[in-house]
Amino acid sequence: MSDRLKQIIKKQSQKENEGLMHAEDVVQLVGFVIGDEEYAVPILSIQEIIKPFPWTRVPQVPKYVIGVFNMRGAVIPLIDLRLKFRLSPKKQNEETRFIVMRDGDDVAGFVIDRLTMAIRIKKSNIGPAPDTANTEETMIEGVGKQADKIITILKVKKLLQRDF
Amino acid sequence: MDEFQEILQDFLVESFELIEQLDQDLVELETRPDDLELLNRIFRVAHTVKGASSFLNFDVLTHLTHHMEDVLNRARHGELLITPSVMDVILESIDLMKALLSKIRDTSADDGVDVSGCVVRLDRCAKGGADLEVPAPKIATVDVDEAVETIEEQELENEPDYENMDADELEAEIERLLQQRQAEDKAKREHKNVGKKDTSSKTEEDDDEEEEEYHRPVSKAPVAVTPARKPASFGNDTDESDDARAASPAKKQSTVEQTIRVDVKRLDHLMNLIGELVLAKNRLIKINDDVEERYEGESFLEELNQVVSIVSIVTTDLQIAVMKTRMLPVGKVFNKFPRMIRDLSRELNKKIELEISGEETELDKSIVEEIGDPLVHIIRNSCDHGIEEPHIRAEQGKSETGTIKLKAYNEGNQIVIQIDDDGKGLDTDMLKRKSLEKGLITEKEADNMSDKEAFALIFKPGFSTAAVVTNVSGRGVGMDVVKTNIEKVNGIIDIDSEVGVGTSMKLKIPLTLAIIQALLVGVQEEHYAIPLASVLETVRISKDEVYTVEGRSVMRLREDVLSLVHIGDIFEVERILDSSEYAYVVVLGLGASKLGLIVDTLVGQEEIVIKSLGDFLKGINGIAGATIRGDGGVTLIVDVVALMDMAKHVKVSAVVDTSSNAALLTREKSKASDYTVMIVDDSKTDRTIMRKALEPLGITLVEAGDGQEALSILKQGDYNFDAMLVDIEMPRMDGYSLATEIKKYNRYKNLPLIAVTSRTGKSDRMRGVESGMVEYITKPYSADYLMSVVQRNINFKSEFIR
Repeated sequence: MSDRLKQIIKKQSQKENEGLMHAEDVVQLVGFVIGDEEYAVPILSIQEIIKPFPWTRVPQVPKYVIGVFNMRGAVIPLIDLRLKFRLSPKKQNEETRFIVMRDGDDVAGFVIDRLTMAIRIKKSNIGPAPDTANTEETMIEGVGKQADKIITILKVKKLLQRDF
Repeated sequence: MDEFQEILQDFLVESFELIEQLDQDLVELETRPDDLELLNRIFRVAHTVKGASSFLNFDVLTHLTHHMEDVLNRARHGELLITPSVMDVILESIDLMKALLSKIRDTSADDGVDVSGCVVRLDRCAKGGADLEVPAPKIATVDVDEAVETIEEQELENEPDYENMDADELEAEIERLLQQRQAEDKAKREHKNVGKKDTSSKTEEDDDEEEEEYHRPVSKAPVAVTPARKPASFGNDTDESDDARAASPAKKQSTVEQTIRVDVKRLDHLMNLIGELVLAKNRLIKINDDVEERYEGESFLEELNQVVSIVSIVTTDLQIAVMKTRMLPVGKVFNKFPRMIRDLSRELNKKIELEISGEETELDKSIVEEIGDPLVHIIRNSCDHGIEEPHIRAEQGKSETGTIKLKAYNEGNQIVIQIDDDGKGLDTDMLKRKSLEKGLITEKEADNMSDKEAFALIFKPGFSTAAVVTNVSGRGVGMDVVKTNIEKVNGIIDIDSEVGVGTSMKLKIPLTLAIIQALLVGVQEEHYAIPLASVLETVRISKDEVYTVEGRSVMRLREDVLSLVHIGDIFEVERILDSSEYAYVVVLGLGASKLGLIVDTLVGQEEIVIKSLGDFLKGINGIAGATIRGDGGVTLIVDVVALMDMAKHVKVSAVVDTSSNAALLTREKSKASDYTVMIVDDSKTDRTIMRKALEPLGITLVEAGDGQEALSILKQGDYNFDAMLVDIEMPRMDGYSLATEIKKYNRYKNLPLIAVTSRTGKSDRMRGVESGMVEYITKPYSADYLMSVVQRNINFKSEFIR
């Protein structure tokens, strides 16, 4: 696909999204589970969600960077969010997915335990990150309140930032 | 003069490129007069042109651009608003600039275009004169009036005084110039009206002069702006009366263009696509091999083979063709050196001659750009440190004039750029002493150093042999920049020198950056690609050929001692599999230094496409990038330079791990369930029978349905097994193969494997022993017997027996 076309589509989707936001003030998120917690990221920052496939280990990086994989010709880093969140490692199973997120030119794949669903949530129902986590360093964008549960919304920009 | 022409050409190409962009920017500026970025860009154009033209002694152009710069500088600092009238003046000045540049292109001189009027107006803008009379759009007139030229010259002389004038004086001066200007214009108009005929005859003369210039080959650059033109069309053009046009580029447009200028980005994109194609080709070849194996002898295979080889050949040709479009002659870099040598020899009071050869040798554009600086440093170094003063040379019986030879040539898949001087050469003792003084090396290192290694000291950061810091060199930066830059393009530097005779430096540079030949090696289950350019040879050694000296592994390679490092130690590879008694050593060479890299297997040579690891993972020590293999997997590319550096700090851990793992296996057991035994059998019934027989012991039992499953359970390492009960006949992987596989793992080398089978033949028993089984239980068996065999093999402590 030509870059031009991409730009147009991007613009359109942005516009659509803006329209939606203004009309309903709704944010669309994709929810997933790591450990016992449910997290979410904005749907627009997700490039694709794929089933696990082989990757190549990379030396001299933190444990949570488990390697790189080939996504249609591009070499993309793979990050295990369990390890990143300092949970114990777990074997990948049927429900494990790679979520490929993009922010500008930064792309990375993230290993998550299980997908939940696409979530539409009113902006007014999103609270700020808890004060204890509300520093420059936090990966938390905000907390989404739903009828029966609370979802932590993650900062994609921060996730894609190299911190080693 | 030719060299001057080259520089001039570059200047013109650059300037015209800049102006092209400028036109667009200016149009945009009118709509957005406060866009700082645009203003900055326009300012830079004026600034660049000014800088270059002053260097080339184009005074008129410098004069003009200098004033443009003033105006734009003020605008960019917000001191001047770009009103339409200011804009008019700027545009006028740019038109003049274009006219001047065209004039320079045609005649190599910038005289004869009147800029004074415009300069005055520019000055008025710069001084903030808001209400400008909009000047008549008078573009680039070739001067015919003697008087005007004198005035212009006066102005040029007067010009520096502006700085020292106070405001009133300035106003007066401007007023005076304006009046002058108006008078000129008037005079000129009259002149034109009166002497139309006179003008045209004069122009004809000019044209003739110009024509002579045209015959001179002006354009040498491969990406030509102005291809050869036809002088014939000029001579006949007697009606040419519009002076401005004589110098305008319109004329050249009728000629046939032999080259086209292409945005480098497009070529880069093309190269990327070719890269993808090469990857797909590799994959196709791999699939072809697989298919060939499976359908041996089938008739369609031949056809497939043909297609695959055609695709493969065409891809390679295509790759070469695209690579060639990016090639530039290395002469592009070389041509600035004669001038540099001349300047340097004057500065240093030495007599130096430069001989250039092979300047037509071609290199990838990005590499050509990258080698310019290193060459400057090397040549400066040769002039400053290499070539001696004339009287010293005379004393030594050399000719007073020192010679530096700069040559380029192809050597295999590489380009070699060689810089030879006949100066005093490098004195290894002196180099070592200086390095010791500066604390760059230790005494011991100095003693063990070969000559080549000593020469390489000059590339150490902070190293300098010059007693005094001169203008030219001696600051201790420079040569390490050379090394970094050359290594950045995967090149290597080779130095040879003899005291009193001279120094020879060879830069060996790959033809292209994107696609390289690599040697693929395996360690455990991982693969790595090593750029073939740095591989000298590969040797197979047996383990007892490796010696340890002062905690470091070394081996004897013919006459030399080669230090060794295991690739697994560098890349933190977990040693699960036990490598056989043989290992492979890849001998890496980088300039003078050598290193043996121990790997488990050699996979083969392959053409690989270098891909970046991206921002997130860039700068990993020892990894230069990644490539995608035929099977779609990612393989990391070894950064040989970094690896050699890392090897110095790696500790030997290779030999010890067997014992530590064995210790792990015989960990202290405190209860019966600490013992773990795996049951491998494809029959559920058989597994249950065994389980029932062993359950009374209270040990932990794990079941696997076949060899593959058992192996993957072992690999996961969730359990520490004390023994395995293995059925022989199983689907996917039978008991013998399983045993053989298991024995490859260091960790499970001593794991007791007990065959449980209905096969009772002697040959079966033999095979069992060969594959490493310790016991052989034939079905049917009694539960007690099985229990006792297991107990014996896992050293079951009697106190746990219930």
